[in-house]
Amino acid sequence: MFVSINWLLFPLELLITLTLVVLVVMDVLLPKTVKKDWLGYVSLGANVLLLGFWTTQREVIGNTFNGMFVEDSLSWFFKGFFLVAMLFVFVMTHKFFKATEGRRNEFYLLLWLALIGMCLIASSADFLTLFISLEILTISLYVLTAYTKSDKFSLEAGMKYLILGALSSGFFLYGMSFLYGITHSTRFDVIQQYVSSQPLTPITLFAMVLIFAAVGFKIAAVPFHMWVPDVYQGAPTPVTALLSVGSKAAGFAILLRLFSVGGVFAAWHFEWSMALAILSAITMTYGNLVAMFQTNIKRLLGYSSISHAGYLLMGAAAGSALGASAMNFYLLGYLFTNLAAFLVILLFSIATKSDEISDFAGLAQRSGILAGTMLLALASLAGMPPLAGFFGKFALIMSAMKSGFLWLALIASANIVVSLYYYLMIAKRIYVDAPRSTSPITISVPMRTVLIIAMIAIVGIGIFQGPFFNAAITAISGM
Amino acid sequence: MIPNLSQFILLTLLGIVFLFMIPPQKTVVIRRITNITLFLTALLSVWFFCAYDTSVGGFQFVQNIPWVTSLGISYHLGIDGINSLLVLLLGIVSYSGLLVSKSVQDRVKEYHIMYLLIVAGTFGAFLSLDIFFFYFFHEVATIPVFLMIGIWGTGKKEYAAMKLTLYLVAGAAIALIGLIGLYLSTGLGTFDLVAIQQHLASNPIPLHLQNIIFPLIVLGFGITLTLWPFHTWAPVGYAEAPTAISMMHAGVLKKMGAYAIIRFAIQLMPEAAQIWIPIIATLAVVNIIFCGLVALTQRDLKYILSYSSCSHMGYILLGLACFNIIGINGVVFLIFAHGIMAALAFALAGFVADHTKTRNLDELGGLSKVMPFIGTCFMMAALASAGVPGFANFVAEIMVLLGAWDQYRWHAVAAVLGIVITAIYMLKAIRLGFQGPLNPRWKELRDPEVLSAKIPFVLLLGVLLIVGCWPSLILNHIGTSTKPVVEYFAKK
Repeated sequence: MFVSINWLLFPLELLITLTLVVLVVMDVLLPKTVKKDWLGYVSLGANVLLLGFWTTQREVIGNTFNGMFVEDSLSWFFKGFFLVAMLFVFVMTHKFFKATEGRRNEFYLLLWLALIGMCLIASSADFLTLFISLEILTISLYVLTAYTKSDKFSLEAGMKYLILGALSSGFFLYGMSFLYGITHSTRFDVIQQYVSSQPLTPITLFAMVLIFAAVGFKIAAVPFHMWVPDVYQGAPTPVTALLSVGSKAAGFAILLRLFSVGGVFAAWHFEWSMALAILSAITMTYGNLVAMFQTNIKRLLGYSSISHAGYLLMGAAAGSALGASAMNFYLLGYLFTNLAAFLVILLFSIATKSDEISDFAGLAQRSGILAGTMLLALASLAGMPPLAGFFGKFALIMSAMKSGFLWLALIASANIVVSLYYYLMIAKRIYVDAPRSTSPITISVPMRTVLIIAMIAIVGIGIFQGPFFNAAITAISGM
Repeated sequence: MIPNLSQFILLTLLGIVFLFMIPPQKTVVIRRITNITLFLTALLSVWFFCAYDTSVGGFQFVQNIPWVTSLGISYHLGIDGINSLLVLLLGIVSYSGLLVSKSVQDRVKEYHIMYLLIVAGTFGAFLSLDIFFFYFFHEVATIPVFLMIGIWGTGKKEYAAMKLTLYLVAGAAIALIGLIGLYLSTGLGTFDLVAIQQHLASNPIPLHLQNIIFPLIVLGFGITLTLWPFHTWAPVGYAEAPTAISMMHAGVLKKMGAYAIIRFAIQLMPEAAQIWIPIIATLAVVNIIFCGLVALTQRDLKYILSYSSCSHMGYILLGLACFNIIGINGVVFLIFAHGIMAALAFALAGFVADHTKTRNLDELGGLSKVMPFIGTCFMMAALASAGVPGFANFVAEIMVLLGAWDQYRWHAVAAVLGIVITAIYMLKAIRLGFQGPLNPRWKELRDPEVLSAKIPFVLLLGVLLIVGCWPSLILNHIGTSTKPVVEYFAKK
C-alpha cells in the first residue's frame, strides 16, 4: 500500500527529533570533564525557539500517514502546553543538577524523548500511534523516575511506576485488540464510525473499560492512582513536575480524543458519562481526604494531583463542548500553578535538603519570593480568585451542572472546602509559624525571574480569562 | 479627571503595586501610601454617594466591558441606591480600620498589602453588576483574611482563622452552585444582573428550579451573614482577629451576604422567596434571641461584641422576610448602621485589648476613669447597638420591626425582646469594663493623645449620629432602589 507522507504537517516533531540528535552528538563529543551544563543551555534555547516556531503552526491542519497522524487545533493547543511545561522542567533540571552533581546529560536526552512522546500523543489519530507514543513517553519516564540511583526512594518509585505502567500498557493493548477484532481497524475515524452506528455490546464495553484504565493510569484517577504518592515523592523533583503536569495533560489529551463530544466513543456518551461522573466524585474526594494527612510536600501534591484529576473528569463526564473547553482551561491554569509549586519545592529543597512540610515553617521570613509564589500556587490550586485555578473550577462545575450533574457539582464544591483546609495549613506554616532557622534563602536573579513569570501567569490567567478560555474553546472546536 | 467606578479597584491595586516596591523596613512610607490610597477611595465613595441622582434612580455610572464573551461574563460596574450606600460604608470603615492599624508593628508591609487586597475585593464585589464578578471579587478577601487573622491575631488565632475561612468558603461554594444554577436556568447565557432582571420580570424561572436555587443561594450567603446555626465561625473569628479585620469583617464583609441575598435571591426569585421566607423569619428570630442570650453569658469583651453582631444579623434576615418596602428599606439601613456601629465597637474593644493585653471583663473595670474618651465612645456605641433613638440603628430597627409587624407579629415581639437583651449585655459590658472601681493595674493607661488617633472613633460616631438624626440623608438613596424590588412583589 502506498503511503503518502505530508512532511509539512509535523515540522515540530521533526525539529524536536533534530534537537535530540544534536544533543546526543554533543553528549558524545563534549569531554567528560566539562563543568558547564551545555546540554541544559542548548535545551533551553532550543525549547524557546521551538515555542516561537509553534506559534506559527496554528494554521497547519490535516492528517497524514494514512490518517494515523493528525494535526488540528487540539494537538496544536497541547503541543504548546507541553513546550511550556518543558521550559520549566529544563530550568528545574538545570538547577537540580547544579546542586546534586550527578550525570545530567542523559537526563536531558530522556526529557526530549518524553517531549516527543507527548507531542505524538497529542497528534495520534490511531490506536497504534497512540500506543507507540504513549510508550515513548512512559519508558522515558520510568528511567527518569529512577534516575538518582543512589536514592532508594527514587529506585522504589521507578520500580513501582514501571510495574504499574507496564500493567496499564497491557490493558491498553488488550482493549485495543478487541476493538481491532470488531472493527478491523485501529484508526480513530473508523472506530468512531462503528461506535456511532452500533450499540454498546459487552465486548466493546470491556474494550472501552480497559482503554479507560490505561488512560486513568496516566491521569491518576482512582482506582488507577496507586503509583502516584510514592512516585511523586521518590522521583527527582523535575520529573515529579513533569509527571504532574506534562504526563497528566497527555492523559487528558487522550481522554479528549476518546471520551468527549467529538471523540471516538462520543456516541456512547450516555453509557459512560455516569461512570465518569462517579469516578470523578470518588477521585476528587479520595485525593483530598488523603492529602490532608500528608507530611511530605511532594506526596501531598501527589494526592492533590489525584484530586485535580477528579475535578477535570467532571468536564469529561459532562460530555459537552463546554466541559471539554473547561478541561483545557483548567489544565492551562494547573500548568503554571503546579510548575510554580514544584519550582518552589525544588529551590527550597536545594537550600534546606528537605521536602517536609514542617520545614516550610516561617518561610515567609526567610524568602519572600518563595513564600509568595507558594502562596499563590496553593491558593490557585484551591481555586481562589483572582487566580487561574478559580475560573477553571468554575467552568468545570458549570459544565457538570449544565449536563445535569447537580450532585457532582455539590460534591465538587464540598471538595473545594476540604482541599482548602490542607492548602491553608501549608500557607499557615509558611506565613504564620515561627521559622526553625532564620538564615535567609537567597534566590538567584534568573530563578527570581522565572518565579515572577510563573506568578504573573497565575494571576494573569486568573484575571484575563477571556483570551485563554477562547483558546480552550478553539482547541476543542477544530477537533 | 472625572471619577469612574473602576477607580475604586484600580486605586487600591495601584497602592498594592507601590507597596510591593517599597522595602519592608520603611514602615512610615508604607503606612503613608496606604493612608493616601484609602483616603482617596473614601473620598471617592462620598463623591459617588452624593453624585448618585436619586430622582432618576436605576443603575448609574455604569461601565460595561465584555470579559469572557462565550459565557456571557462582563466586567459590569454600576451603582444604585443600595450599593452606593454600601460603597460609602466600605469607604468609611476601611479608612477607620487603617487608622486603628497603627498599633501593628510586626511585618507592616505584608499587613498593608493584604489589607488593601481585602478592600479592593470588597469594593469590586459591591460595585459589580455581573454575578460572576460579584462572586469573583467576593472571594478575593478569603486568603488575606485567613493570613491576617493567623499572623496578627491573638489567642486561638490559628483555629479561629481556619474555622472562619472554611465556613465562609463552604458558604461561598454552596452559593456558587446556586448562582450557576441561576445562570443556567434563565437560559439567557449571561451573568449580567441587569439583563437577567429584565428578562425575569416577564419570564420567571420555573418554580421547581427556583425551589432548588433559592435555598442554595440563601444558605450559602446566609453562612456569610452568620445565619443560625452556621454562625459559630464569627464569634471566635472576630474575637481573635486583629482589630481592623474585626471591624472590616463584622462591619462590611459579612454584609456582602445580605447584599447578595437581596440582589440575587429575593429580587430575582420572588416566587420561591414567598415559600421559603417563613423559615427565614423563624431562623432570624432564633438568631436574635439565641446569639443574644449567648452574648449575655460571655465575659470577654470581643466575644460579647461578636455574638451581638451575630444577633443583629437576625434583624436583617427578619427585614428581608417582610417583603414590604419599609422592611427592605430597614434592612439596607441596618446594614449601613450596624456596619458603622460594629466597626466602632470593635475599634474600641481593640484599643482596650491592645493596651491592657486582656479582653476579660473581670480583669478590666473602671476604665472610664483613666480613658474618658474611649469610655464615652464605647457608651455611645453600646447605646447605638441597643437601639437608642438618635443613633442610626434606632431608625433601622424600628423600620424592620414595623415592616415585620403585619406578617410576623410574634416574631416582631421576640425581636423587641432581642433589643432588651442587647441593652442588658451592652450595659453589663460597660458596667464591668468601664464603670465601677478602677483596677489598679490600669492606672497608667491614657486616652489616645494625638488627635489623629481619635479620628477613627470620632468619624464613626459622627456618622452614626448624623444618620440617626437625619435619616433621609441615606433613606432617599435606599428608597429609590428598593422600590423596584417591592413593586415586583406587589405585582405578584
